Amino acid sequence: MAAHTIRTFAVLRSPAWLLLPVGLLYGALALLPIGVILRLGLTDGGAPLRSVLRSPLLLRAAENTVVISLLTTIFAVLLGALLAVAVWRAGPALRSLLWACILLPFWTGVLIKNFAWASLLQDNGVVNALLLGLGLTDHPLTLLHTRFAVIVGMVHYVLPYAVFPIFTALRAIDPLLERAARSLGAAPRWVVWWVILPLIVPGISNAALLVFIVSCGFFITPVILGAPSDMMIANLIDYYVHDVVDFDAAGALSLLILAAIAGLIVAQQVLPREGQHGAA
Amino acid sequence: MARRDAVGRLALYGACAPVLAFLLLPSLVIVPMALTKGQMIQFPPIWISVHSFTDYLGDPQWFDSTVLSFQVAALAVAIGCVTGSAAAVALHGRRFPGKGLVTGAIMAPIVVPLVVFALGGYLVFARLHMVGGWVAIGLLHGMLVTPYVFISVQTSLQAALNPLLVRSARSLGAGRLSVLRHVVWPAIRPGVLAGGVLGFAVSFDEVVVALFLQGPQTVTLPVRMFTAIQFELTPKVAASASLFLALSVLVLLAQGVAMRRRGAA
Amino acid sequence: MNVALPIVSLPAQAEGTPADEVRPRGPVADARHHLEVDRVWKSYTSGVHVVRDVSFSLAQGEFLTLLGPSGSGKTSTLMMVAGFEAPSRGAIRVDGRDVAQLPPERRNFGVVFQGYALFPHMTVLENVAFPLRMKSVGGAARRRAAMDMLDKVGLAEFAARRPRELSGGQQQRVALARALVFEPDALLLDEPLGALDRKLREALQIEIKQIQRRVGVSILFVTHDQDEAMMMSDRVAVMQDGRIVQLGAPDEVYLHPETPFVAGFLGETNLLRGQCVGQQGGCAVVRFADGVTGPARLSRGGARPGVGAAVLASIRPERIGLLARDAAADCVVEGVVADRVFLGRHTRLVVQALGRTLVVSAAEPPAAGVARGAVVRLGWSREDAQILNEGGDATG
Repeated sequence: MAAHTIRTFAVLRSPAWLLLPVGLLYGALALLPIGVILRLGLTDGGAPLRSVLRSPLLLRAAENTVVISLLTTIFAVLLGALLAVAVWRAGPALRSLLWACILLPFWTGVLIKNFAWASLLQDNGVVNALLLGLGLTDHPLTLLHTRFAVIVGMVHYVLPYAVFPIFTALRAIDPLLERAARSLGAAPRWVVWWVILPLIVPGISNAALLVFIVSCGFFITPVILGAPSDMMIANLIDYYVHDVVDFDAAGALSLLILAAIAGLIVAQQVLPREGQHGAA
Repeated sequence: MARRDAVGRLALYGACAPVLAFLLLPSLVIVPMALTKGQMIQFPPIWISVHSFTDYLGDPQWFDSTVLSFQVAALAVAIGCVTGSAAAVALHGRRFPGKGLVTGAIMAPIVVPLVVFALGGYLVFARLHMVGGWVAIGLLHGMLVTPYVFISVQTSLQAALNPLLVRSARSLGAGRLSVLRHVVWPAIRPGVLAGGVLGFAVSFDEVVVALFLQGPQTVTLPVRMFTAIQFELTPKVAASASLFLALSVLVLLAQGVAMRRRGAA
Repeated sequence: MNVALPIVSLPAQAEGTPADEVRPRGPVADARHHLEVDRVWKSYTSGVHVVRDVSFSLAQGEFLTLLGPSGSGKTSTLMMVAGFEAPSRGAIRVDGRDVAQLPPERRNFGVVFQGYALFPHMTVLENVAFPLRMKSVGGAARRRAAMDMLDKVGLAEFAARRPRELSGGQQQRVALARALVFEPDALLLDEPLGALDRKLREALQIEIKQIQRRVGVSILFVTHDQDEAMMMSDRVAVMQDGRIVQLGAPDEVYLHPETPFVAGFLGETNLLRGQCVGQQGGCAVVRFADGVTGPARLSRGGARPGVGAAVLASIRPERIGLLARDAAADCVVEGVVADRVFLGRHTRLVVQALGRTLVVSAAEPPAAGVARGAVVRLGWSREDAQILNEGGDATG
């Protein structure tokens, strides 16, 4: 396969104008709007930006966003790693089944997932019915419209995003490395510690970054599953646009988000990477 | 020795089982909830009835929203397929500094919070007096669909485009356009199809952009559901949710078929 | 490439190695066979047998090669010895002890895989030191032992590099060093030189042989390359369809193959059909086509052919000589040269004789005068005509 790709480089030089459609579309609907947002946020020498930065609402929303996203990332990466390892170790039939289980929620819209969780977590929903039935509690717990529900909904959404990079990293490991390590005296748990884990660290960090960034942008889930006090940054922008009708502030806030995301991506690219090389 | 491996495996899958249950649980309760006789959503449902589906399809507002969503999604897929495949073909086989950046930029709609695009789109379309029209939503969705088509076509190119075919076509005098039409297009067709199906689901499900760009006559199905979920959890909502679920199953099947076709290629 | 390596001995005992790791080396060896593979079978759930009734033993310090085409079961056999697969039937013993229950990490074999399997995230030194770390050897002692080993394979200056920075041949030597550093009971090599080009392969063959002689380690080697097997081995086990069809020293297996498969696999040969017309001093007398008669060595495994029985004999091209007009030989054949190709070390002649073509490999002076179309007298001795046991080949 690699040989094929190298030869293609010399032969298939598609005309460059094929990039025009995507360029035009993104230019009109992404770059242009970002330019507009930039202008809005920086009018009067950045006044909206400064006022937004001082707003207590922003502090609240930012704190919520970071805390919720961090918790979501931790759970998603842990569970995602577990699933990734299971898929990696599975035989062909089991692997297809596992992928189907992981991908079905992935292709299901966020609204549906939130709706389902809302129904499950409501006072007369399935989860409470289960708890009551098992005798674990004597009255229905308030699970809906809590931070807990938001995190549950978010972890459910981002879990596939966590699985993909970790699985990719696992798949890139030369299968003979494990045998080599064992022949050299390493019991299975040491094989994992000394060989497998170090080689998937880049995959795990990719997964964590992806999940964190995606979590920060959540809009629907906090509204449906959370309380008003769980407002996240995206909800704050919506508030500025629809409730206060202050587009400058909304623009400034968008700017902040974009800057933060760009910063995170740059930081991750710049950090030294290990272990992906040398794999067959 | 083999026994120890088997125990390890059992522990691994045993630990996964609850996680998988967690993943699938929401999808599994939706249809049963829709098939209830009562007027409130409850689980388990009391009686089986399809009144929720008839209610849903009979309500003119909900029906119109459904049609609108299909319309928007169709436009989005048309745009996204063109931009996504063209970009994938253009970048395939090319090496230049900054290729990673370009690819990253194309993938941006998946990672960057939709609310930013929604706001930006609103500002741009407001100036063009297009807010409240379905075309605006369709266009913006086209951008959201592009990365999915891009990845799908990229995968087909890597798996199915035989560089030897390209070479022999060129040596027989085919110009670049000819090569595109006769060699590249057949190779990427399954990828475009799979990406298109995927993009359709993405556009159909999308809430945030549709929310920002909505108008009195332009309320997509997800936006209507969003409002309904916040204020009244009726079975009608579950019925339309079932439709979404059917769509995701379709996408899953389409992906499975595409993968098998690629494997055979 | 540095092939002449100084003769040194490994450190007698690295710090911290448990007492039971110390083993006697060299001629003072265990009287029992070091490694014993006893009637081993392997089949997968589909019911296909990949290894059938394989038995052999590896003496201390011996170099034994499992030679065969792909699918002959040689790698599966090696993997069972290493502990990565379990035999369906049969036993594997080291120094008399059955090792079936031991997982790979406790079998004390050094394994070198095709593709080297060096840990990409560790330096060369860390790779070589890894098995010592698994044996809880302290850091300083570990690094010292690893450096010594790297020195022996001539790669000391690459200690701080990553495997991807090394060439194929260098990576192979690191893999060897890593497999030897913990003084294993035996070295198991699975087609380790397959990915290298010819010159590098030959150089490494010599080096592996030298290391083996110096260190005294037993080696079980798997390859499909018959030249490699013959060059390096003390004994060769030829495998076909999961069975060992012949086991013996390289010259024995080459000059006196048991079956048509062995004869054909180990090099080019002429297979001649004939009829047994009697016995003469330990050999069968065979009548070939055109009435030509000559003695042929009996096969060890098969039954003695009775008078009138059909036999198949194998004669190597280089054992057929060009005879001068009045020279004699055990068996003489006349023929016409159909083709002549000069191959440097020898000349390959295709001769029309006995109603078929014979391939003759002749050194230059006698072959010089022979042109296409010339009539030649060919001859060979009884020792070089080997009767083959046709029923001895493994059946599919």
